[in-house]
Amino acid sequence: MSIHSSSMRAAEAGVLASVWKLLRLRLRITYNSFRHARLRNKIGIIVVWVFLLGLAYFLLALSRWMLELLHSPEFIQYAGLDLGAILASIPTLTLSALFIGTLLTSFGVLLQVLYLSGDMDFLLATPVPIRAVFITKLLQAVLPNFALFSLFGIPMLFGLGLSNGYHPSYYPLVILLMILLALAASGISALLVMLVVRVLPPRRAAEILGFFGAMFAFVCSQMGNLAGSFGREIDFSGTRISGLMMLADTRWLPLNWAGQGLVAVGEGRWLPGILLAGGTLGLTAVTFWFAVVTAQRLYYSGWAGMQVVARKKSRARVRSRAATTSGAGLARLLPRPVFAILQKDFLTLRRDLRSLSQLISPIILGLVYTLVMLRGSGEPPGGRGEAPDWFMNSFRAVLTYSSVGMSLFVGWMLLSRLAGMGFSQEGRNYWMLKASPVRVWHLLASKFLVAYLPSLGLGFLFLTIITIVQGLSILQFIYSFLAIVMCLAGMAGILLAFGVAGANFTWEDPRKMNSGAMGCLGQIVTILYLPVSFGLFVAPLGVVQFLEMPLVYGYLAGLILGCTFAAVSTFAPLWLVRKRVERLGQ
Amino acid sequence: MSENLIEARNLAKRYGDKVAVDNVSFNVYGGEVFGFLGPNGAGKTTTLKMIVGLLQPTSGTVNVAGYDIQTQSRLAKAACGYVPDTPNLYAKLTGRELLRFVGDLYDLDRSQAARRADELLRMFDLTNAANDTVDSYSHGMQQKASLASALMHDPRVLILDEPTVGLDPRSARLIKDILRQLAQRGAAVMLSTHILEIAERMCDRIGIIDKGRLVAVGTMDELRTLDQTGQTSLEDIFLSLTGGAEEAAIADVLK
Repeated sequence: MSIHSSSMRAAEAGVLASVWKLLRLRLRITYNSFRHARLRNKIGIIVVWVFLLGLAYFLLALSRWMLELLHSPEFIQYAGLDLGAILASIPTLTLSALFIGTLLTSFGVLLQVLYLSGDMDFLLATPVPIRAVFITKLLQAVLPNFALFSLFGIPMLFGLGLSNGYHPSYYPLVILLMILLALAASGISALLVMLVVRVLPPRRAAEILGFFGAMFAFVCSQMGNLAGSFGREIDFSGTRISGLMMLADTRWLPLNWAGQGLVAVGEGRWLPGILLAGGTLGLTAVTFWFAVVTAQRLYYSGWAGMQVVARKKSRARVRSRAATTSGAGLARLLPRPVFAILQKDFLTLRRDLRSLSQLISPIILGLVYTLVMLRGSGEPPGGRGEAPDWFMNSFRAVLTYSSVGMSLFVGWMLLSRLAGMGFSQEGRNYWMLKASPVRVWHLLASKFLVAYLPSLGLGFLFLTIITIVQGLSILQFIYSFLAIVMCLAGMAGILLAFGVAGANFTWEDPRKMNSGAMGCLGQIVTILYLPVSFGLFVAPLGVVQFLEMPLVYGYLAGLILGCTFAAVSTFAPLWLVRKRVERLGQ
Repeated sequence: MSENLIEARNLAKRYGDKVAVDNVSFNVYGGEVFGFLGPNGAGKTTTLKMIVGLLQPTSGTVNVAGYDIQTQSRLAKAACGYVPDTPNLYAKLTGRELLRFVGDLYDLDRSQAARRADELLRMFDLTNAANDTVDSYSHGMQQKASLASALMHDPRVLILDEPTVGLDPRSARLIKDILRQLAQRGAAVMLSTHILEIAERMCDRIGIIDKGRLVAVGTMDELRTLDQTGQTSLEDIFLSLTGGAEEAAIADVLK
């Protein structure tokens, strides 16, 4: 058979055969990634898989044991409440979580695979049914998160079945319902992606998603601090949980049908079981099919590719002019190339939401700790009042300056991004700087200032709040500010030098520009540098208190020691990497 | 004779055992357009990057406008403009901001840079998009923005790597006219291209590189005399010097 005849035969392949062909391609890519990985990475992957399988087995055993315990008459007698209704709502809650989780997580993946990965045109140009391409893309979006969810969900649901002695048909039905719910959720997600892309360019949508995703994750991670500080403990009482579960068990929500049907089938109540589970299976299958067909039509007709919202061209013009005016003063102080790079970097960072999300994290952290601090008195505990005065004074000084140290920590977070990735953030555009006649020291100075100025601004803001909240004197404020000025400069110098050593210009996503080992090393070195540098400013104050000498000697000694160390830390690393800057990007 | 503005002497670049550019020497004079041709992977882009100072040669020297690109790199770079094959530009800057930024890098006077940016934007038909960020530009618009930024400081030497890829005929014609005018004003223009028609019609002299070695340099007439097979078109000369696909092999694949 000729090659041409074979290709014509490919055009006759069915949807499922084509889906399988495309999925085999994904499996091949995954296998190739594993095969070409370094040996240590291969071992790591195998260890992770063994660990995950072990974890799944452990969760299954744990679920079964716990659920049997909760069912036991001894527990019911001891706790005084029957948890039967609560346990029966576990499948509903688990499957609802799967549906909502898949809906949310597959949005970003689908945006990527449908509009940003670049292989859609390639696939659609081949004699593969368009529907097969879309089904594969949906499966591609669902599979990783589905696998992760299954790791926790299946052991829990199977554990429930085992502990309750459910009918054997319960177990395959669990798997079937999970698959169809996940597919339906990904289908709806694909339609949402099309709607969003109708309004926003895909890359912009991905930036916004990345920004809010990062913010959400960071805020969630800090909620514990805030909740603990404000004493608002979450109510985990049995009555509350029971209420929540009962609410989730209502029959009017189609999302609840799957779980209720599962329990009914497990308990051998066939009529409601078949109606509810069958209804869910039918509804999800129809939803999935409708979503695939509609998404395919919207994509192929170009509907989703035509943005309906007009671009606001004037905004960039106004902002651009504002940036030029505000920087006029600084422009006179700095060499022109230094100011140009400074201005360019600030504009780029501000406009790229993915970069901005990395910068806002330290600011949120600062806000969280400011709130925590506002609630504290800043005074050391009085104890029984037997401590000597010098001890209490030193303790108070330590408390005061530890708050200042917190502003340095916030500055460190910002510097880690701005200085550590100062060069890497140029990415593939670095040729523009490299091909221009910019001096190495100008380049280093501009990158230093890009990192240092915002960190200093944040440090100053934080210090002002501390001064107001804790009632610091003017002298303490000035001294602390000098300490911040110098310590941050040293940190910026070290992090920038490590950033030069590990510069990476080949990234596509700003969140992946981290230079790996060098970036880590820079953070470790600065975490060690920070207490030493700040300690050299603060320790002399404690020493003169202990020796009962005038405090001015402490300030002088602190300034000399701290400033010298910080100045050396600022310039020495940059001097060491100056030759490397010339070779960057080759 | 015109001033020698690009002087490459025994230029070589090796990556371990792989030789990307092997002992290449040539001159490009002020007032001429020099075409640099070669098959894919022949070493064109590597050579251009070494001339511009983006890549350090393993051995050999390059002088740009009389300055050694390695020892007097800033002076050499100040005289040189470069347009890469892929227009990687700062995506989040507007077209106007990009040009002003380049003006600042080359230390142009602010008002002069603003005026020059406006002129270039007008010339490349980018005025309407001047306040849009570069990531909203089409490939052709990005290519034009890249060329505009290379022309911001009115360079004496202009190096272009595949400048007409992705451009519509009107823009491609505009670029050809600009390059010709630059040469007429005394600048040295060196461009790599795969489009032999452009090279034949635009270039005063042509260099052909194959497997890292410069196999021929000269005017079209000189290349015709170099070629033993008596070919007259640049395409035939190019294929004869770089070894085109044999007919038998072609027939075997297409059978």
